[in-house]
Amino acid sequence: MLVKFIVRRLFASVVVVLGVTAVTLFLMDRTRGAYVPGIDLNPALRPEDIARLRADLGLDQPFYVWYVNWLWNVMHGDFGRSMIDGSPVMTHILERLPNTLELTLTAVLIGIVLSVPLGVIGALRRGTKTDHSLTIFSVAGFAVPQFWLGLMLILIFSVTFEHNGWPWLPSGGVTSPFGGGDLGDRLLHLIMPATVLSFFYLSLWSRFTRSSMLEVLSQDYIRTARAKGMSERRVVYLHGLRNALIPLVTLIGLELPGLVSGGLVVEVVFSWPGLGRLAFERALQYDYTTVMGVVFFTTLLVVAGNLLADILYAILDPRIRYA
Amino acid sequence: MSGDEDVEQKGFEQFQRFLDEWSRRDFLKGLGATGAWFAFSAGVVEFLDACASASTTTSQTGKKGGHVVEGAFSDVRTFNSMLSSDTASNQVLGLMFDGLLNSKKNGDLVGALAQDLPKTSSDGLTYTFKLRPNLKWSDGQPLTADDVVFTYQLGYDPQYKDFASPRRGDLSKYIASVTAPDPQTVVVTTTQVFAPFLVSHGQYGILPKHVLGSLSGKDLNTAPFNSAPTVSNGAFKFVSWQSGQQVTLARNDTYWAGPALLDQYIYKVLPDSTTVADQLKTGEIDIGPVDPSQFDSVKASGNTNIIEFPVAIFDFYAYNLDPTKLGGKLFAQKEVRQALVYALDRQSWVQAIYFGHASVATSVEPPTSWAFKAKPQVVYTFDVAKANSLLDGAGWVKGSDGIRVKDGLPLRFEMHTNAGNKQRESILQVMQQSWKDIGVDATPKLIQFPQLVTEIVSTRTFDVFLVGFSWGQDPDESPLFHSRNAAPGGFNGADFKNADVDATLDAALTTLDQNKRKQLYYHFQDVMSDQVPAPILMFNKGIWATSKRVMAADFGTYNQFGNRPWMKDVWVTDGK
Repeated sequence: MLVKFIVRRLFASVVVVLGVTAVTLFLMDRTRGAYVPGIDLNPALRPEDIARLRADLGLDQPFYVWYVNWLWNVMHGDFGRSMIDGSPVMTHILERLPNTLELTLTAVLIGIVLSVPLGVIGALRRGTKTDHSLTIFSVAGFAVPQFWLGLMLILIFSVTFEHNGWPWLPSGGVTSPFGGGDLGDRLLHLIMPATVLSFFYLSLWSRFTRSSMLEVLSQDYIRTARAKGMSERRVVYLHGLRNALIPLVTLIGLELPGLVSGGLVVEVVFSWPGLGRLAFERALQYDYTTVMGVVFFTTLLVVAGNLLADILYAILDPRIRYA
Repeated sequence: MSGDEDVEQKGFEQFQRFLDEWSRRDFLKGLGATGAWFAFSAGVVEFLDACASASTTTSQTGKKGGHVVEGAFSDVRTFNSMLSSDTASNQVLGLMFDGLLNSKKNGDLVGALAQDLPKTSSDGLTYTFKLRPNLKWSDGQPLTADDVVFTYQLGYDPQYKDFASPRRGDLSKYIASVTAPDPQTVVVTTTQVFAPFLVSHGQYGILPKHVLGSLSGKDLNTAPFNSAPTVSNGAFKFVSWQSGQQVTLARNDTYWAGPALLDQYIYKVLPDSTTVADQLKTGEIDIGPVDPSQFDSVKASGNTNIIEFPVAIFDFYAYNLDPTKLGGKLFAQKEVRQALVYALDRQSWVQAIYFGHASVATSVEPPTSWAFKAKPQVVYTFDVAKANSLLDGAGWVKGSDGIRVKDGLPLRFEMHTNAGNKQRESILQVMQQSWKDIGVDATPKLIQFPQLVTEIVSTRTFDVFLVGFSWGQDPDESPLFHSRNAAPGGFNGADFKNADVDATLDAALTTLDQNKRKQLYYHFQDVMSDQVPAPILMFNKGIWATSKRVMAADFGTYNQFGNRPWMKDVWVTDGK
């Protein structure tokens, strides 16, 4: 039964990866027109040059032929070279991956650290103005577009603060271009983008913690604990919070595979050299190989992560195997 | 119950009490106090700052040392001068590799690695360059004519046909041979007299034969040198490239013009013009291009010096003159084409659309060119009465709905431009309104840039398109207006075929006599102003900002990106 389950999940995962990459290629192909990636249109190029370059890159064939060739190479571990500058795609991906992870892990961390207390306060102060303000804050954090929030923060903490001579935060990049690179410099650059990205997790998880907490606090065993004379502190933290956190941990765990793909908008707004920004910039230039490489890589990780989580669940909880 | 728990219990109780007692009023009070504190301390800081401010230093002697950070929109793709076709790559490699010639900001050519402009033979086919004495690469190896020959061979010689140079088309067409009769002399022979040869092909960064000469054409495409040059001959040499982030260059002490004053130059990649403007304001970058819409806010920040100058970048629209298409039927008469230009109040666009940073084009040549004729045969002022009378005279009569009709065909068409460019979208809207006033029904349609390019270059499925373009240093405009480029694949999307223009353009290309060329281009501009198949509307301005600590940056029309002979003289006031 378990084996059958795993096989089915595995099959579904492969289908997802193939589907995502195929659709990505299809969309790029449909929108590219007669454009040749990497070649700025200038009058010195003749039609024969463009035709030759297009043939070199394999763009004169239908996209499914290109797709099959590309897939064959990927199966052999060859992610190919960028169509823009000929550099190996894998190098780019491995270069950018740590930056993306740095950003998203920090955002998740901030999210966890802040959402638990906020959720607890909301649960304990349920119905009061504090609770309502926290609710509004959560919903706003979820509803506000990341690019707007990012630009606003840059405007306030970088431009305005600097203009007024106050200590200001750098508006983009991982480190200062000159003389930077130490931990303090990296942290300064990390604060704003990680905060913007964390809003998403923060709002989600604080709401969840709150409702989970409320649910747990209304359980019978809580009443029993109080009846036994246990202190309120032990009731809330030992029995209440610990049980409320279990589903939150699950939620956070499910979020982890998405870490590699999470921060595209924030990366662009803050000039953060991550995978998301790589895919974005290269997609604009129709650099098929790089975009497909990044898409494949992230899809693989997300799907693999989810697959692992599903399998673990199925091992732990037999009811799931029949789903 | 242990003592520990007592402590924890107390802590918890305190927390509970804190939550109970901490009312909203207290919170606001605390906030107000914090705010007042900040305001006070800010005032203190400003006061102290005002006391301490020194007078502005105006010492003009260049200080050695320090760095500049330049912000730009795109990442570099390659450092190989024979592979690059994009502005970003040309800009950075231009600081590392000089060519035979360089350009001054007004477009005049000057000697770089070559001592001076070459001697040309009387038949105009042979150029003889004399290199400067004692040229060296950054690793100490001498730079000789062999390096020059090698560099050009990459572009035209059949043994390098696998090397994917975007220049191969032109170079193999125009170069007959490049030889080095002695280590200081380079002789280039062209296949035909080609006036723009020096300007178009005399400025490529020279590559080191002693490093790359042993590689095959195919291997050169992916050589590590292309992304990390080990030697250079320009003002700077390569240090590092963090892809997507920045390129770092350091001073090259063997540069022929003398070592640069700066220690380091950093090219920083940023996503868009807003970020560049923000970072210019905060001082995170020292040099950067300024978008017209950001001009006022960058200026107001007071941290930068801004320089603005005319450039040969322009917006234009074209009529589809193919007789088999709708455009061909509507725009066949030049009176119609002229009338539509007369109806446009372009002077008002300067402020409304370009924020004051553009000029109305009076000719197809840019005002920065030596061949520019300010008042060609037909000068288009804003004249609605004339527009109306031209259309009436051409037989286009206003119908009952106000739209002009001729032989049952209404003067109704679509105008295409690329989505995402605010300026062009605004221009189309203004054009639509202006033309409605004279009885012409034009509808704007926005499409994606690659599709627009396909339409202009291949399928020609448009009535009118609006797009931006730029001219190079030479006044030749064959790519847009010569009939041979009307074939699919060429940029003459209007399908303009005029024997007089063809002959004039060809004649101007095949003589090296600049006076003769000037006369020919004057005639060309006259004909173009009369025929107006693709009216050039506005010429843009190049706008650059430099931080107040940067000195001696000398941006100009032809000294923006790839050609910056003054970069070695740039210095920073604080020496950092």
